[in-house]
This record gives sequence, structure tokens and C-alpha cells, in this order.
Amino acid sequence: MPKILHHRNKCIGCNLCYEIWPLRWRMSRADGKCTLVDGMEKKGVWQAVIPDAEMPMNEKAAAACPVKIIRLVR
Amino acid sequence: MEIMAPVGSWESLQAAIQAGANSIYFGVEQLNMRVKSAASLTIEDIEQVVQRCAEHNIKTYLTLNTTMYDHDRQLVGSIVKACKAAGVDAIIASDFAVFNECKKQGVSLHISTQANVTNIDAVEFFAAYADVIVLSRELTLKQVKEIVQQIARRNICGPKGELVRIEIFAHGALCMAISGKCYLSLDSNNSSANRGACVQNCRHRYKVTDLDSGKELEIDNEYIMSAKDLCTIDFLDKVAETGVAVLKIEGRGRSADYVYTTVKCYREAVDALEQGAYTPQLVAEWKERLNTVFNRGFWDGYYLGRELGEWSEVDGSKATQKKVFIGKIRKYYPRIGVAELLLESGALATGDELLVMGPQTGMVEDKVVTMHLDNGPVQQAAKGSLVALAIAAPVREGDKLYKLVATEYAQNTAS
Repeated sequence: MPKILHHRNKCIGCNLCYEIWPLRWRMSRADGKCTLVDGMEKKGVWQAVIPDAEMPMNEKAAAACPVKIIRLVR
Repeated sequence: MEIMAPVGSWESLQAAIQAGANSIYFGVEQLNMRVKSAASLTIEDIEQVVQRCAEHNIKTYLTLNTTMYDHDRQLVGSIVKACKAAGVDAIIASDFAVFNECKKQGVSLHISTQANVTNIDAVEFFAAYADVIVLSRELTLKQVKEIVQQIARRNICGPKGELVRIEIFAHGALCMAISGKCYLSLDSNNSSANRGACVQNCRHRYKVTDLDSGKELEIDNEYIMSAKDLCTIDFLDKVAETGVAVLKIEGRGRSADYVYTTVKCYREAVDALEQGAYTPQLVAEWKERLNTVFNRGFWDGYYLGRELGEWSEVDGSKATQKKVFIGKIRKYYPRIGVAELLLESGALATGDELLVMGPQTGMVEDKVVTMHLDNGPVQQAAKGSLVALAIAAPVREGDKLYKLVATEYAQNTAS
């Protein structure tokens, strides 16, 4: 199953990933950054395993991210 | 006039202190207009920035000047709270949410140039919130002077009960869009300039194509969207006559040597003005020094009433000098003024101009006079050598050492 890697500390809170795929991305009210839904943190990088069907929307989100902090691994 | 220096890293903070700034401005977290270029300072760093500045009687201002969304509200509140606790002198902002938060928490506010204040009625409006207002960079000095005079005439006071003070940009990058309100980077790269993530694509070269005929139009100046950098040092006397209180130097995304050189030149120029010693000879010398650090070529902005902008002739910088990394300081012996250095890249010879930069050190310039290897004094040292080098000013372990060399731009213009 594919995996998302999210370098959350570099997020500028632009809202784009959340606009594109709100099932996987949420804006945190605590610090204004985007949070990876069901993500787990490993050494500062947030990770989540996702079903194949979610790939296209997350690929869109990754491409749209202005600071390129969303990476998808198959 | 107060000289306000840009700070985007610990190195540039120290450089601003050394160069004699009266105040500094800096941003933290993602809500400042340099999230891509400035090294990221955090909320936790605010206290230390204020402390280090307080030791030198330097005021601190925090930029909280991006467009704000609902999801930013809590972070805005936390940053304002941290500023209050640390004793930051004011917050620089353009979004009404920040104005409101500063008012609620009782923190002083400066109106950012992003608010595009271009007339006295706007100044009067913002005076309900702010003691200092940064005017739009697109005004002429005549318009600036008129605004300053009317503040006194109308007795427009800020929350502190004193006449509102006017700040203008004195030096640094200009934007092709009015007051930085640009959509280009968002349009091309999804990367919003108004969230501090400008990709600077206006600084590239472009061709214009007639879609009907397919013909490419020739543009004499290919960098048609890239304005030259603002420089006011050669008409600082006229700037002073307007009655502005604060001169802001742009460049939170630039390096410590830029901050040091720029602030130092403006410090000397303002001091010279106050002592009646501001001369064309000095102006020429300052301009030469300003030319050594990053710049896209200089012009006088809109202050002298030009109808059109002047556009850069280069992709990057017109700086006449560049710094080449050669290694890090391994140890410093302060009593004898000697640094031990590992040459990680390139060679070093006596006579080379050096630049040392570090978070505590800021920026130190020196020249290689004497140099020792294990077996005695040498004139040259190659990559990989462990060199003992005389450096008078105190530097520190871990500081980076650079060699100053002429840029290709300087060589081409000289030949």
C-alpha cells in the first residue's frame, strides 16, 4: 500500500492540500499548519499508509504544495 | 532617524548589532513574508532575540505580516502573547486580524507597507491602532513630506498619545507589484507571495509572443518585470528633509554580510547628516561598498518622481564581490588572536580577503597576513590543510570562513 511522507514543520499553512483532499488533510487550529489525518510521527516526518484509491488526490495535493513537503511512496 | 535592520538568522542579527542598527525586525514561524528565504526562527527564539538586542539598546519588531486565514488565529494569538512576554517593541502587520489581536493584548503595532498607505486619511484611520506607519514604497518624497507635515498639522496621534511616526524603505529589493501585493508566484507555482512564499519568478527573463502571428516581440530589456534595488544613500539629505522617523532596510532573506555592509553604510550616512558631514565623496564611497554585496543594480525607486521603473539587467546580483566557502573554524585562541581552520574547499594565500560568519560572531572581515602549517609559516595552503591563522577579532568554533573574490560581473565590467 502506498505511503505519504509529510515534512510538517516546513508547512506554511496555505490550505491547498486541505482544499484538494479534505479526507486526508486538515488545518490545525493549534499551529496553523496542515495535519496528515491518521499520520504517525517518525523523526520529525509524519507518515500514513493510504489505500491505492486515494493516490490520485494526494498526488494532486503533493503537486500543488508550494513548499513541496508532501512525498508519496509506492 | 532610526535605522531598522533586517534579521533573518542569528548571523544577521549579530551583523545588525555590530553595524550599529537602532532597531531590527524579524519574523517567526510561517506567518511572515520570508518563509522561503529566511532561516526559520521560532516562537521560542523571540525571547533571545529581544535579550540580545536589549543588551545593545536596540529595539525589536516582529513581522506578522502575511495574509491571515481562520486557521491561523490561534498561532497569531500565541505569537502576540510571546511578543508581549518577551518585550518586543511592536508587531508589524497588515491584516486586520493582527491589528485586533494586538489591541486586545495591548501590544504596540506598526502598519506594514503591505497595507499600502498612500495618503493622510489612511494614516488617520490607522492611527487608532498604530504609532508607526510604513508608507507605500511607490510614493514620491514630496508626497511623503506632505503626509508627515499633515500629521503634525492635524495632530494625528497613535495609541501612545504621541504624533504618529512615519517609516519608509531606504534600501533593498523592490517588487513589480504595488506594495508587494503580487499574484504572479501563486498563479505560476501555487506559491503565494502573500503567504511569504514568493518564488521570485518576476526576476527571470521573458519573451512576449503575439499569439495571432506567432511572432516573438523583442524587448530591449529582457528583465522587464524585475525592478532594480532601491538605494537612497545618495539623496539621504532629501529623505531627511521629509521628516520621516524610521529608515527600513529590506533583506531578511539576505546574508549577514549584506546586512552588515548595508546597515553600516546607512549608519555612517545618517551620522554624517546629523554632523553636517554628508559629502559627495562619502556618498561615492558608500555606494562602492554597497555594490560589493548582493544587489540587482541600484535606482532611486519612486521617491524622486520617475514615471517608470528601472529594470534590472541581470538575473541574479550585480555585486562586485562574492564569498566562497573555504572551511570552518575548529578552535580559536583569544589570547594570541589565532584561529585553527580546516581548509575544506579551495586554497588560501596570504593577502586573501576573509569573511567569518557565525551565530554569535555575526560578521568579521579580515585579511590573511600570517598563516602557519605544522612545519612553520607558509604563503599558501591547499585544500585539506589544517591552518593556524591570525584573526584579531574574536571568532568562534564552528564559524564559517569565506574568501572574498571578485564576481564575474565585476571582472566583465572591468575588462
